[in-house]
Order: sequence, then C-alpha cells, then structure tokens
Amino acid sequence: MRGFGDLESVIMHMVWDHDSPVTVRELLGELRHERSIAYTTVMSTMDNLHRKGWLAREKDGKAYRYTATASREEYSARLMREALDGGGDPEMVLSHFVAQMGGEESEVLRTVVRRLTGGRS
Amino acid sequence: MGAALLVFGYALAVAWSVPVLLSRLTRHGVSARLGLAAWLTAMASVLASAGAAVVLLAGAAIAGWSRLAEAVCRSVTGRACTPVVYRGAVFEVPLGAAALAAALTAIVLVWRYGRGMRRAGQRARAHAEAARITGRRLPMKGDSAGGTGRRVGGGATVVLEAPQPAAYCVPGRPAAIVLTSGALAVLDRAQLGAVLAHERAHLAGRHHLLISLSRGLATSFPRVPVFSRGPAEVARLAEMCADDAAARRTGRPALLSALLAMGTGTAVPAAALAATGGPVTARVHRLLHPPRRGRHARYAAALACLTILLASASGLVTVFAGPIAGHFLPFG
Repeated sequence: MRGFGDLESVIMHMVWDHDSPVTVRELLGELRHERSIAYTTVMSTMDNLHRKGWLAREKDGKAYRYTATASREEYSARLMREALDGGGDPEMVLSHFVAQMGGEESEVLRTVVRRLTGGRS
Repeated sequence: MGAALLVFGYALAVAWSVPVLLSRLTRHGVSARLGLAAWLTAMASVLASAGAAVVLLAGAAIAGWSRLAEAVCRSVTGRACTPVVYRGAVFEVPLGAAALAAALTAIVLVWRYGRGMRRAGQRARAHAEAARITGRRLPMKGDSAGGTGRRVGGGATVVLEAPQPAAYCVPGRPAAIVLTSGALAVLDRAQLGAVLAHERAHLAGRHHLLISLSRGLATSFPRVPVFSRGPAEVARLAEMCADDAAARRTGRPALLSALLAMGTGTAVPAAALAATGGPVTARVHRLLHPPRRGRHARYAAALACLTILLASASGLVTVFAGPIAGHFLPFG
C-alpha cells in the first residue's frame, strides 16, 4: 500500500521515463496496470506537481501535455549539493552518517581499511 | 545589586570552568548520553543564572527608583543635592538601563533565532519532499535488516541516484532518511542496517533540535566558552549516542565497518581493526576500544553528579544570593 504522497513520486518517475510529453490519460492507462485509481486522482496529483514546479504543461486540444522541468539526474545532483553544503543555510541540520572529513582524517581511515583488506586478500 | 553580582559571578564561573571539565570527561565518549545531558544542563544553568541576574538587577533598580524620584523632586524645588540623589544617579539609573538593554537584547536574539529555525524548517521540509519524489523507496527487506521495518515520525527511507556514498536524515514531519546508490554499493546488508539504526536514533533523539539550539546560542554568545564550544561537543556526543543505539541493534562490527566503508567509499568487510584524531576517527576508536566497565561507571557517576549539581546550583544561587550579599557585601 502506498500513501498519497507516494503517488507524486510514482508519477514523476513515469514522466521521467517517457521521452515525450504525456497526458493524464496516458499515465492513467499505465498506472491501471498495477492498481485501480481514479482519473481525477491522477489529474489533481499532476496539477499539484505543476503548481509546485516539478511539471511544465502545455495545452494540446482539450488536454494538457506534461513534461518534467528538470531531469531526475538534475534533481538528484541538486539534492546532493544541498545535503553536502547545507544549501548555504547553516541552520538546516542534516545529520550525516559520516561527517565531511579533513584530508588527514580520511587518509588515516583509508590506511586502516587498506591494512584490513590487504591482509585478507 | 550585590545579589545580582553574585548570581552573575556564578554564571561566569560555570561558563568558563565547566567546558574544560566536561571536555575532559567526555573526550573518549564514555557514556555519551550522560555527557550530552551534562553539556546541555551546563548551558541551561548559565542561561538561567544570567537571566536571574538580570531580573535581580532590574529589581534593585526598581527598588531604588522611589528614592531617586523623591530626590529629583527635592533638587528641582531648589534644595541641595542629597547623597541619595548621588547614589541614585550612580547606581540605580545605569543599573536599570543595563537591565533594560539586556532584556531587549534577549528578545531580539530569541526572535532572530526563531526566524532562523522557521526558515531552516521550511528548507528541510522542501528537501525531504524533493528527496521523496526524486528518490526510490528502499526495498523493505533492506529496511528490516535494522531489526524492524518501523518508520520514525512517519518518515520514509529513500535512495537517490548519486555516485558518492552518503547517508543522512532530514528532520521534520514527516522526516526522511536519504541514502545514495553510492552508499548502497559499498554497504552489505548488516552494515546498511547499522546506518539506518544510527539515523533513526538521530531522529528519535531529536538531535537536530539540540544541535540547532546550541548553534543559536553560539551565534548569540560567541565569546562564552560554554556556548562557543557547545555545537561541536553536542554534535560529537549526539553522533556517539546514535552509534551506541546502532551498535546495540546490529552489533559493533557491522557499525564499525559501515563507518569505514562510508568514510572511505570502499567496501569494508566487518572485522577487527586498528585505528588512530578527528571526530570520525574518535568514533572509530571508541567502537574499537570500548571502555572497561569500572572506568565507564566512574565517568558516568562523575557526569551524573556534575549534571545534578549544575541543575540545582543555578536555582540555589539565585535564592540565596540575596541573604549572602546582605551579609558579606558593603552594598546590597
């Protein structure tokens, strides 16, 4: 069972997987392979994504054709930049499993690992 | 006046002496949780007693106010300046002004901190949402390697496509734990469980609040050791608390090898290691050489005593400062 928030993710991944702009009806067809879902649900979710700036759309006859405003890779890269330097906001606290290390410290760790793995192989 | 000085003196003494003591007691991360509590209590104790000093100062100024007013009246009506006026002008007026300035400064600092926190919260929410949409859900079997499939704060665990190994948690409601595909590539199943347990411990312990609070205090009082050294110490001890939680859940070898794998970007089999001091190596060292039981108990007892002492002292000093000052100081 996926929550409603997940639908945004599912739809974005479907849009990214398409090479050309898609309509709500086209995505609905694909979504119905794996779940029963109403047209209005998909439409309002895509409308939300458009409002939040994830999707761009243009009128094609009666329906809209949607495209992603940036590729999956661009979003991932942007998130990683923000995660690593805090996006220029020193007050945003993200707890990294391993903090950024100085050159010396990471060299020490590397030596430890080399000794370990070298001794085993 | 004398009481305010005594309380302020106590705050200064704690602010300058306790950091030295605490960094010695917590250096090896013995009982990280107690160490964290002791640091936070020391900060709270200094803040509370400094605040109490300001209140006492304001009280002294207000108490002297009627005498001042009376004296001003008399001098306006043409009589000579009495010693009371002199005293009022020298002590009460500057005192009142100082207390007012301190109170206003405190209000501005708190307001600025609140604004920063709100903005950071918005950014974190936006970041978590973008990660949830861009990333893929971590398959639940990897998730359950941590012992449970439980989610913290309704948060999700998502995987971003990125070559560099990274794992972090984004606080908020809902919170999110973000891993990169680069991290999954260097971690085995048990190590992944350790990483997730570590991040969940951060979220469950609300460590982000402690860190942001200590950063806010450090920005407000950059020259006071108990505050300026706070953020680094709180962050370091919070990492160790999360390590303890993860080690309890998945065992030390899995956590240790996960730390090394993520730190170097190379897969590391779980095994015994030798190590050396930055914050990450300190964590490695601590996991390699866990403190002996007796030492652990001694450090824990010392930290607990210090915490209780600090927690009760600021109250006691404030209550008894008046009588003490009345007895031993020439003014009061």
